[in-house]
Amino acid sequence: MNAAWLPPLALSTSLVAAVVIFALPESAWRWRTGVNLGAALVKLTLVVLLGYRVVEGHYDTLRFPVVEGIDFVLRADALGMMFAGLSSLLWLCTTLYAIGYLENSPNRKRFFGFFSLCVGSTLGIAMAGNLFTFLIFFEMLTLSTYPLVVHRGTPKALDAGRVYLRYTLSGGTVLLLGVVLLYSLTSEHSFASEGGLETFLPDHRGLLLLIFALLVGGLAVKAAMVPLHGWLPRAMVAPAPVSALLHAVAVVKAGAFGILRVVYDVFGIELSVELGVTTVLAVAATVTILYGSLRALAQEELKPRLAFSTISQVSYIVLGVSLFGPFGTIAALTHLLHQGLMKVTLFFCAGNYAEELGIHRIDELDGAGRRMPLTSLAFTVGALGMIGLPPVAGFITKWYLGMGAIQAGMPWVIAVLVAVSMLNALYFLPILYRLWFRLGPAHGHGAWPEERRLGRLETSAWLLWPMVATALLSLGAGLFAAMPFSPLGWATAVALGEYLP
Amino acid sequence: MMLPDTLFANALWFNSLLSLALLWPLLLAVNVTWRHVTAGDQGVPQYLDGWWLSAPWPALGLVLLGNGQWILDGWILGGQWELTALSRAWLMFTALLWALAALHARGYFAHEQAKATAGDAAARRRLLRLAVLWPLTLAGNILLIVAQDIASFYLGFSLMTFAAYALVIHDESERAVMGAHVYLIMAVLGEGMILGGFLWVAGEAQVLTLDGLREGIAQAPHGVAMAALLWGGFGIKAGVIGLHVWLPLAHPAAPAPASAVLSGAMIKAGLLGWLNVLPLGNPLLSEGFLHLGQLIMVAGLLAAFGAAIYGVMQRHPKAVLAYSSISQMGMMTALVATGLTAPDNWHLVWPALVLFVAHHALAKGALFMGTSISEHLPAWPLMLMWALLALPGLSLVGTLGAGMASKWGFKSALYDNEQTTLIWLLSLAAIGTAALVSVALWRQWQQRQVGKGNGWQLYAWLATLGLALMTPVWLPLPSESMPFPPFAEWPGLVWPLPLGVVAAGLMLTLWRPKPCVVPAGDLWWLYAALGRAGANVYGAMAQRLYITKAAIVKRALAMETLLMQRLEQLLATDAWMRHHASGLMMALAVGLVALLAWESILS
Repeated sequence: MNAAWLPPLALSTSLVAAVVIFALPESAWRWRTGVNLGAALVKLTLVVLLGYRVVEGHYDTLRFPVVEGIDFVLRADALGMMFAGLSSLLWLCTTLYAIGYLENSPNRKRFFGFFSLCVGSTLGIAMAGNLFTFLIFFEMLTLSTYPLVVHRGTPKALDAGRVYLRYTLSGGTVLLLGVVLLYSLTSEHSFASEGGLETFLPDHRGLLLLIFALLVGGLAVKAAMVPLHGWLPRAMVAPAPVSALLHAVAVVKAGAFGILRVVYDVFGIELSVELGVTTVLAVAATVTILYGSLRALAQEELKPRLAFSTISQVSYIVLGVSLFGPFGTIAALTHLLHQGLMKVTLFFCAGNYAEELGIHRIDELDGAGRRMPLTSLAFTVGALGMIGLPPVAGFITKWYLGMGAIQAGMPWVIAVLVAVSMLNALYFLPILYRLWFRLGPAHGHGAWPEERRLGRLETSAWLLWPMVATALLSLGAGLFAAMPFSPLGWATAVALGEYLP
Repeated sequence: MMLPDTLFANALWFNSLLSLALLWPLLLAVNVTWRHVTAGDQGVPQYLDGWWLSAPWPALGLVLLGNGQWILDGWILGGQWELTALSRAWLMFTALLWALAALHARGYFAHEQAKATAGDAAARRRLLRLAVLWPLTLAGNILLIVAQDIASFYLGFSLMTFAAYALVIHDESERAVMGAHVYLIMAVLGEGMILGGFLWVAGEAQVLTLDGLREGIAQAPHGVAMAALLWGGFGIKAGVIGLHVWLPLAHPAAPAPASAVLSGAMIKAGLLGWLNVLPLGNPLLSEGFLHLGQLIMVAGLLAAFGAAIYGVMQRHPKAVLAYSSISQMGMMTALVATGLTAPDNWHLVWPALVLFVAHHALAKGALFMGTSISEHLPAWPLMLMWALLALPGLSLVGTLGAGMASKWGFKSALYDNEQTTLIWLLSLAAIGTAALVSVALWRQWQQRQVGKGNGWQLYAWLATLGLALMTPVWLPLPSESMPFPPFAEWPGLVWPLPLGVVAAGLMLTLWRPKPCVVPAGDLWWLYAALGRAGANVYGAMAQRLYITKAAIVKRALAMETLLMQRLEQLLATDAWMRHHASGLMMALAVGLVALLAWESILS
């Protein structure tokens, strides 16, 4: 039984929300909040329903031809639902957070409108059933994120927005070129072509390599792989919820998700190994991981440090993809979710420090643990997870990456993992030390840069509870990883059920 | 053996008590936080109250309950918690030491509690931190003992390692901060090596349990390298020579009860790590493992002697005791090595080793607590006090009580295998122990103070002392593996004592190097200098890269400007064409007409 109406319905929640929000006047705070939260909840429910149906074996598909030979396809499959589930869940948290964060600031209508569009595009990417549909939503994501990046309207923000557009639009063009080439080769643009691409291997090896390079090269811009990462640290000028969305859910993840699609669905992992591109990917991911960590070490402000950490962490996903074998695949899929949960927590924390105390630099964090204990605890959980210590989710990923490295015959990856864990410790532990062990304004030494009392607790409840929830989820995803419906359980089911020979 | 293997065969009892043993410390940490929060902004609750003291008690109850196993399917990567003969004995002495150290801490920190109550915000903050992180450290320690799956073990080990940072840094003096940082840097290094080893072996052998890990190492083609990596990783905790540098810096800085558990329980966790991962006593080992075993033995003996020689030159009694710990751990390391060099004999050696470890844990605990007693001497006869303070040391040397039994235990185990050279070397090392203990006592005597003591502090110390001397009585090991030496063997055990005391006396009178010549932490200063040099080189490289990058960006921008200029020139051409459009059109039309005319003329 194919419920073709279900995927477009899930997609339309965010799009309708966006339209309604644009139609509402700026001052209708209550209405806007209601629409935002209602849409987020409905969407989460629908995605859960879709996921449940995928488990039952129904891949709901909507398909209609746009022009002769080119179809628009929305399809719920296991990998897509993983990503959709993550984005819907984190959208709910981020919306709550953003409502608190932007309280009393101007242009909220524009912000939430594009915010909804952005998340709608992410869902579209997750459910895209072929490259054409994927491309549409991919570009839509680029365009709907731009107003969010430049939201503050300062020269620095506009500058960052310009850089962002240059990078992502060029990336999109390269991707388009790859899709067109692929279409001209196979006259098909679906993810999994009927006969597979193996049939073209003997005659068109070079062309296949070129197509792979174009597709992955275009996606790598969004996934912020070195040397195409330049836009990400600059985009840090955006408000904290946008950074959280950019880093954990939407943009960066869309790139990584696209690479997953290309390797597993378009080419297939065996063909990728046959072409030898996985080794190249592994090396590129390794370079990105190490470079991101080294640069993070040198940052003196909190958000840029987190940004470079994202560059490093997202490439774990790519690294997992490049490790041929079940464990590598499981690691890649799991980290898609784990990195989202942990990074969103860290950005919420960074936002809270900035909102409540006006803290932007790391050396202003001295003694903040006393003033904002819950935020600092959440930050601690996120940071330990990034280092890869159990029981936080990051450990699970690292474990499976290690297993995958041995399985793929690349034991050197373990050395990289250990090195990057140490680097992570090197740039996160000093922050924890400052939070908990240094004396600061909370102990009567100096003053916070710009303290505000936003709520009865350490900060406003809107800012506090989404962060606590994501921190608990990061912890739970690690502590109960062996449970059947944990991220690891879901990733294992997807990897073993769909992508492995 | 005083305790039966199992009191209740009931799995439900075992599982509930095991979860209580792990959860109780965590709940107490929450409880302390809660009492702190509800006391208000300035309120000061009794941080180390009766509940807080009870943190390790459920674990002790678990030991009494007996062996058992609990499989947890949903836990991390699949949990397997177990009390075996080894882990039960280990949990017994660990939990006992933690319980006694907590009692001691109640007295040790009474002064700080009074200051906090009087309104000292700094004391209040430090006490809160200690009261929260002490039970967390304990929970990690308990978990790593009961864990038989890799993930739980690693979780327990990391939790203990990182939470203990707060115990070391407690008094926030410059020395404490320095010691804590050295501790943390070495701990992170260790964690990295352990993680690498775990991933490597678990990937090769596809296992999740420590059992499987041991098997995997024994069979893997690179087994020796894996074993060496893990040995190094745990060796940082266990104070292997070269990796021991944090001990003499962290121990003197930490408060006495923290030093006691650090030296008594936590560095033993490194040793337990070895027992858990190295394929000790496996008869089918390749040649490489024999060499690794020999290497480990040499490292152990080097530590046993080197730390003794270096330690007697220290001024601070706790630094002397830290070196004594390194020396003792060296002897244990040598015993662990026999599991690789003479695997057939391992079944005799390991119970003796556990007895040695348990006795050292309590005795070293008593010695570290003793340093706080000598700073607050009660009004008891001085002779009695010094006799009591010396007792755990005498036992460690092997001249009385449990120490004698322990020493006789491993000696007879080694005799069975005719490892006479090793026995002889270990006896020689006992001279070092005697010298170190004498020097520690002498330093305590020099720095003694009278009064301001506290009953908790004193009686907890006495209890630790008593239990240390009676280790074989309460340690749940088969009693045949803990024989008391026959009288005829006593001289063979006692002789290192007088030699050691004489050596210490000679040392103290003949040569007194300045502290700057023999700084505590020895090799650390070399490592720090090397690290700094490395960081400088890296910084210079990064700087050069930055300059290169800036130059490239500049050139690219220049290129872009140039290109844009060309483009604009082109556009300007366009404007010129537009301007002269009518004329050009005309010219074109004329040309075309001419062409047509030319063609028609031709035709």
